[in-house]
Amino acid sequence: MMDFEDQLRRALERKDPSADFTARVMARASQPKKPLAWVSWRSWAAAGLAASLCLGALGLEVEHRRKVEQEGKAASAQLIRAMHITSIKLQRIHKRVQGSL
Amino acid sequence: MRVSYCEGSVIGSLAQEVGIPQAVAEADRSRAFEAAVREHQAMIYSVAYHFLQDHAVAEELAQEVFLELYRHWDEIESREHRIHWLRKVASRRCIDQSRRRKLRNHVSLEEAPEPFTWMPAADPILKRYIEQLLGKLAETPRLVVIMRYQEGLEPAEIADVLDMPVATVKSHLQRSLALLRRKLSFATREGEA
Repeated sequence: MMDFEDQLRRALERKDPSADFTARVMARASQPKKPLAWVSWRSWAAAGLAASLCLGALGLEVEHRRKVEQEGKAASAQLIRAMHITSIKLQRIHKRVQGSL
Repeated sequence: MRVSYCEGSVIGSLAQEVGIPQAVAEADRSRAFEAAVREHQAMIYSVAYHFLQDHAVAEELAQEVFLELYRHWDEIESREHRIHWLRKVASRRCIDQSRRRKLRNHVSLEEAPEPFTWMPAADPILKRYIEQLLGKLAETPRLVVIMRYQEGLEPAEIADVLDMPVATVKSHLQRSLALLRRKLSFATREGEA
């Protein structure tokens, strides 16, 4: 009976791959490296999503600034009108005070 | 000038110095690579086949290993370095492949059923049976046994290829051999009885 370790060596002897193995490796090695379709698709999708998010955020910011500006203008107009009314009332009081004197 | 042991790299460097078109150097590199594939294909395919026990998957894995070698061709310094590099990459890829595709039979070697027929020594059936038993070892011990008995490496060399302490390699070897021997002697005794 063969030694156990010899049996293992025999069972694990090197085997040759298919006859066209080298040719297949060489064919694959000579192919130009192309990005995989799914990588490309994912990159484009990620870029599109990022661009959409940026545009969305920019739009929201512009809209917010426009709103603040409008509110500022309205407040300013309201203040001017209030001051105008106050001025008219003060003039009337001033005239009455002068008439009574 | 950086002198590389790889034939392709040396020719490539010379070609650049004397102004030979890059295409010629590339052709020489390709020829040197082809020679390397022919020289080492049985080693890499056998490591993958004995580990994965699947001809098609082993061939695919071996091809991937050689394509990786092609990409790192200029980093290889000598034939010995190339062999060491190939064994290392093949081992790593075998474990990755095994984990990814769950090729490993979930029955452990301890739980593997015993054969019921007599198998005389050196019988092809016995050879196949040993391969099957090997396939039931866990990933790392399986690689250790393959490196020891297919490649004939010493424990220190195996430790270097598989990035593990020599003591771990020896322990894997001892335990795996004991298990395999027990299974095999049981099969032989059953057959004789």
